[in-house]
Amino acid sequence: MKRTIIVLLYLHFIALLVGQNNILKGVVTATDGELLIGVNIKVKDTGRGTITDIDGNFQLAVEPGDHLVLTYIGFKDLEYVVGNQTDVQIQLEPDQTSLDEVVVVGYGKAKRITMTGAVSAVTARELRTVPTSNIQNALYGKLPGFFTQQTSGQPGKDASDFFIRGKSSLNEAGNQPLIIVDDVEYSYDQLSQINVNEIESISILKDASTTAIYGIKGANGVLVVKTRRGMEGKPQINLRMESGVQTPVRTPTFLNAYETASLVNEAYTNDGLQPQFTDDDLQAFKDGSDPYGHPDVNWYEEIFKKIAFQENVNVDISGGTSRLKYFVSTGYFSQNGLVKDFSSANDDINTNYFYRRFNYRTNLDFDITDNLNMRLDVTSRFMNINEPNNMNATGEIYNFAKMRPYSAPFLNPNGSFAYLYDTDSHNPTLNARLANEGYRRTRRNDNNILYGTTWKMDFITEGLSSNVRVAYSNIYENNRFVYRFSDGYPTYHYDPETEIYSINPNGTYAYGTYGIGGGINQSVKDLNIQASMNYARTFSEIHDVSAMLLYNRQSRTTEHTGQKIPENFEGYTTTIGYKYKNKYLIDFNVAYNGSDRFGSDNRFGWFPAVGVGYRISEESFFKNRFSFVQLLKLRASYGLVGSDVAPGGRYLYNQVYEVGDSYYFGDRAQNFSGYREGDLGNAHVTWEKAKKFDVGLDLNIFDNVSFTIDYFYDERYDQLVRRNDTPLLLGIGTAPLNVARTNNRGIDGQLGYQTRVGKVNLNTNLVFSYAKNKVIYKAEAQQKYDWLAETGKPIGQPFGYINIGYYTPEDMVKINGGADVSPAVPNTDIPVQAGDLKYMDLNNDGIINDFDKGAIGMPNLPNTTLGWNIGGNWNGFSLSLLFQGSFNYSFSVVGTGIEPFKSQFQPLHTKRWTLERYQNGEEIEFPRLTSNPATINSAENYMSDFWLIDAWYVRLKTVDFSYQFPKRVLPGFLDSGRIYVNAYNLLTLTNYNKYQQDPEISTNSAGDAYMNQRVFNLGFQVSF
Amino acid sequence: MKQLKYLTWVIGIFFMTQLSCTDNYESLPVDRFTEDFVFSVTDSTGKQARQFLNTIYEQLPNRHNGVGGDYLEAATDNALSIALDDEPDVYKLLMGRYTASNRINSDMKWGDYYASIRKVNILIRNIDVVPFNSSYTDALGNKRPLNASMKAEARFLRAYFYFQLLQRYGGVPLIGDRVFGLEDDLELPRNTFSDCVDYIVNEIEDIKDSLRTIPLEYPEEFAHVATREAALAMKTRVLLFAASPLFNGNTLEEGNELVGYPSYSRERWKYAADAARSFMDNYGEHGSKIFGLAPDFRKVFTNWYGGDNPELIFFRNTGNNTGLETANGPLGFSGIRLGNGRTNPSQNLVNAFPMKDGFARGESSKYPYNPQKPYDNRDPRLDYTVLHNGSNWLGTQLKTYQGGAHNPAATGHYSRTSYYMRKFLGDFENADQYGNTLHLWIMFRYAEILLNFAEAENEYLDTPSDEVYNVLYALRRRAGIEPGDDNRYGLKSNMSQIEMRQVIQNERRIELAFEEHRYWDIRRWRVAEDLFSEPVKGMQIILSQGNPSYQEINLIQAPFSERRYLYPIPYSEVNKNINMVQNPKW
Repeated sequence: MKRTIIVLLYLHFIALLVGQNNILKGVVTATDGELLIGVNIKVKDTGRGTITDIDGNFQLAVEPGDHLVLTYIGFKDLEYVVGNQTDVQIQLEPDQTSLDEVVVVGYGKAKRITMTGAVSAVTARELRTVPTSNIQNALYGKLPGFFTQQTSGQPGKDASDFFIRGKSSLNEAGNQPLIIVDDVEYSYDQLSQINVNEIESISILKDASTTAIYGIKGANGVLVVKTRRGMEGKPQINLRMESGVQTPVRTPTFLNAYETASLVNEAYTNDGLQPQFTDDDLQAFKDGSDPYGHPDVNWYEEIFKKIAFQENVNVDISGGTSRLKYFVSTGYFSQNGLVKDFSSANDDINTNYFYRRFNYRTNLDFDITDNLNMRLDVTSRFMNINEPNNMNATGEIYNFAKMRPYSAPFLNPNGSFAYLYDTDSHNPTLNARLANEGYRRTRRNDNNILYGTTWKMDFITEGLSSNVRVAYSNIYENNRFVYRFSDGYPTYHYDPETEIYSINPNGTYAYGTYGIGGGINQSVKDLNIQASMNYARTFSEIHDVSAMLLYNRQSRTTEHTGQKIPENFEGYTTTIGYKYKNKYLIDFNVAYNGSDRFGSDNRFGWFPAVGVGYRISEESFFKNRFSFVQLLKLRASYGLVGSDVAPGGRYLYNQVYEVGDSYYFGDRAQNFSGYREGDLGNAHVTWEKAKKFDVGLDLNIFDNVSFTIDYFYDERYDQLVRRNDTPLLLGIGTAPLNVARTNNRGIDGQLGYQTRVGKVNLNTNLVFSYAKNKVIYKAEAQQKYDWLAETGKPIGQPFGYINIGYYTPEDMVKINGGADVSPAVPNTDIPVQAGDLKYMDLNNDGIINDFDKGAIGMPNLPNTTLGWNIGGNWNGFSLSLLFQGSFNYSFSVVGTGIEPFKSQFQPLHTKRWTLERYQNGEEIEFPRLTSNPATINSAENYMSDFWLIDAWYVRLKTVDFSYQFPKRVLPGFLDSGRIYVNAYNLLTLTNYNKYQQDPEISTNSAGDAYMNQRVFNLGFQVSF
Repeated sequence: MKQLKYLTWVIGIFFMTQLSCTDNYESLPVDRFTEDFVFSVTDSTGKQARQFLNTIYEQLPNRHNGVGGDYLEAATDNALSIALDDEPDVYKLLMGRYTASNRINSDMKWGDYYASIRKVNILIRNIDVVPFNSSYTDALGNKRPLNASMKAEARFLRAYFYFQLLQRYGGVPLIGDRVFGLEDDLELPRNTFSDCVDYIVNEIEDIKDSLRTIPLEYPEEFAHVATREAALAMKTRVLLFAASPLFNGNTLEEGNELVGYPSYSRERWKYAADAARSFMDNYGEHGSKIFGLAPDFRKVFTNWYGGDNPELIFFRNTGNNTGLETANGPLGFSGIRLGNGRTNPSQNLVNAFPMKDGFARGESSKYPYNPQKPYDNRDPRLDYTVLHNGSNWLGTQLKTYQGGAHNPAATGHYSRTSYYMRKFLGDFENADQYGNTLHLWIMFRYAEILLNFAEAENEYLDTPSDEVYNVLYALRRRAGIEPGDDNRYGLKSNMSQIEMRQVIQNERRIELAFEEHRYWDIRRWRVAEDLFSEPVKGMQIILSQGNPSYQEINLIQAPFSERRYLYPIPYSEVNKNINMVQNPKW
């Protein structure tokens, strides 16, 4: 019925148009052939006009000789003179220097040319070419001031961490930017599940002027997402299908059984122990003559596939009438993991990693009357993540204690599974575990409804409107696992000499049944209500005034995990903007808001900010002299914003008692429960504050160069940290206090250029970001030596020893002979040997100990990132390349990722120190091998700049090549068609060869997370 | 028209009230509670306050596999952990792999003890607001309101925690009854060793009569509470500790009163001896006979004193389960018989057990020692303490020779010494499988009081008295050692003080093995440097033609440097507190 009405309405509209005299029909495309939707077309000097529909089509009543002005964001304006044709095709040229660019900001939009704040934006057109499941990963290198790190490539868990202008808070959780989707706050999880296809644009708000409206939540910057909405026109169906292959960016190589056994023997000899393997053993490993007694298995290659597939299908339908507009989108994303299938044919348990996601969105706009508009957005996301139960497959392979190339054959000669015979744990082989131990599956269902009305109240005064929004979201996540323990099925050790199969001492002869478990991970309900009055009006075409007053309240209730009482947020925001001739610009933004995370006296705060701008290019003296400059704007902003993230729970203001440990009393071992004191409260706990200063310049010249640069200086204070200078004599933990202070400064910006050579359009864009922070105060105890102090260093500064080579045989003579001047050694029972790592004795006491740990390297989050995009198109072909680089950061791999006998032996270990190699002057890149995990050579015990490397990387992040079919070759029912190939993480250049891990792995870890993926993708897109 | 106006008001007010009556969840944490709830002025049973005390009790150690999964004994020459390759905490303690900033948290507690002391002080500060109407009978037989006992129990626990600190660090800051806030000056100096000893002893004197006494009035409810006897037992240990060479005469740093007494005084041994003697006289076989030696050595650790265990003075019940058996039982069994062989007694310990007639290995004429049958005719306590090749266990004769069923040598997981710990485990010699057994962690037992007495008295006197001998006879008699023709249980007559010292030290070692005495004894005697010049040894048993051949092997040469007699104060504490003095050489 509804559809009939829509159709009827639509017919009415057509009929209305047909009634006119000369009807010009046309289609507007970009130079690469893409249909442009919503292009504004106006007949010059008249009020008449229209916009193109979802097919890029328009109809307009015109007279020959009329001048049509076509304007469209991201494209150059075009003036088209109407001739006698009634059916035309008009092409618009893309314009990266567009003066009309409009970006989404908090609770509204702003024009780049008259904005006073620091905002970077990217349109979804640029994101859809990145074959990744989540937005975070698609934003690499595209936004100035945006810093990202992807620490895992596991399907469904590969979303990057991101920070706006780096980190500012010592309170680790207090660095996450606020995420706003259609003016409603989202969590990180929610963001990573949004389908990129549903997005129209993304902005990041960086300075106080733009974030102050979020007040207590704005200090870490804001990521603003706007979703797509319907346009007037007939239903337009858009189908995009793509499938791709993933392959790890970097895969580890390990030494084979012979090489490993030789090095094990060498290490044992170094340690004064008997070699583990005889020469016969070594020979058997070398020639492979005894594959069951002396196996040689490359576990990585046996367990992991080279490639895994992923698929992405999106269908969206949009269109509308003048009264009702709709955008309906569904999407399905599926990503498989790299683990091979080892299960037997009659076992349908999938233990591979995978991710499946189904997204659905309906955005409706309904003009009830000319002045009253209603919107209803309904969106759901269903997600499934699968992983092998109770293991990290990569980590298992790295771990030398768990498996070695010679620990077991892949399968026994009779086809039964083997177990890792020579290890402590006697685990079954990894293929046996993957075949038999089940999976863990996380399911999540995320439902969101947003209802809003906008009422234009011009009847009171022109330019006034009011707006009400209610958003409700419900997240429900549970997990289910099907499991069997490693002692629940048989594995055998086969002795080729006796041909006897002996069963795993921890195992059983018969297969046990699987167990099934699971539970609810989270159930969260979130209600957000917003009401605002808006005013925007231009007087005498000179004075441009805008204002907004907004009330916002949000209540989030966690109903399962922890059963917490609701967390509430409430506040008012007001903004006032004034522009004189669009030349002198000023904005005031004030928020008064608070959250009940703090005590009732300390809940609400004022967050004011001011932004000013001066468009010099509008001044006539400037215009006349520098006509090639289209835009030169100076702007500055200053203000106060806050962060309400409080570590350690919610009732920091109150000391509460908790259920404590219990004790047995009485003769029947009765358990008596106990109470204990909780951490001391901090009655004055309040939000963290940031004073942010930003000065920026926007420049457009020669019609084809655009440039933006910002310098910022933030001072973050009242940071919530636990005092580190309180003696433990206090006897109780303390709540964090608002004491720490840091600053953060840097520059970011972008430079764009475009040109046309013959029929080829070329454009390029360079994005750069730099942010450097410093701890000014963190309530640190007075250290014995200056170099031990963390104050004055960046947040997350690593500390460790400074490597000065290896102990030489000459050093050892001095040390053992008790020479007056001999190299410092650690004060432990493990004597150093020649070939051990030698460290600098900072306090010159002859002993290497904790007092010799200084600041080494840099924090793990890069302080400089670059993105460089180059694109071109010609006759429907288009190509774009994005290079992304991160610089100035450090990371280390420790434990099972690199250290001998913790990790598998790696090619690097062959470059170890040996007396022979040393005397021959060969290149030495690794200390002598030892089986003792506690020597000075251990990265876990003696972190040093030998292990912590200063790194950088440059990646060919995305490549996208597409061809848009000309309309004439397409079948009639198709409006457009395009095929494309793209790639993600295609090439990586880095400066280190010590580690085999990806440059983005989390530092100070084994680096054995699921490998980051490279993706090759093939897809097509049709509209009809 | 006017009516309409009223109606509007009525509807308006109706909506306003509806809006203000939200059906939201509550806005304050109703599931949380504060000090007034725990120490409630309306709670006449003191239920919550008692629960607060329970949590303080819980801070008492359960040291069964309590140091990172091992017994502290595995950091001495008595045992090794099977998990040496994983560098367990006991191994680091044994090898000295720790510094002031890189400490072994499972034993080098500092903040934890002050947290426990704070809890005691909170209880003392607040308990009197609770209007108890229940009462108890104190050690003097008076009926008193329950809070008097609770306060005394808490103070007992506080004294115990201070003693733990004293053992580990020497003199530490004494904070009295204060409950600190952040505004207080927390940069307190350490009190001297002597102050700390006096404080602990005075506390014991002060509270002992307010505690309950054994036999308990309502054992079904109050067994395991601190009693007067527990307090007095602690006093014997504290005084013995204070009189020991490390603090009395042979201190780490001359003139440093934080780490010992400034000068030697023989009288300190007398105090210790008198405390122990008075305990024995009052409660032992010549006194009220409440305490004595249990007839069966093995039952001491699995039997509650309601069940005829006269040896128990103070203990922690660690539950009725198979936890210890699973953790420490021999390898080579599976399923419900699974043991992980965690604790491997050393050959050094095995060698310390005398022969069945009480003479040392090789010194007995009746039971000559045969190195190829090393476990024959030994002190029965050896079999009660150690499982060795040929021991009966779970109805099986253990095969702990290399590659034997219970020592699978070919794999990474094998007994380092060919031994497993037997002590504390239930009687599973002939059982089919492990079953739930009551396990106690005993903090004070009567045998220790006897040994405390013997040691202190021997040190005080020039030559050992009959009292000293009698104590040792009693222990050896209970152990099942043959009295011999001279009724001397293998002890020589007319021993010198030094000879007797060695006998007593050895007797402590074997009688109290795994009960966390050895680790502290070798420190307070200041013998660790000499002791660890000997390696920790194991037994290598090789089966050839069906016969085992025994060979002692050296396993670990543990170094011991002087500074390790006391633990380092956490580096961070020294940093934060300008008055905090670090222990010598850390």
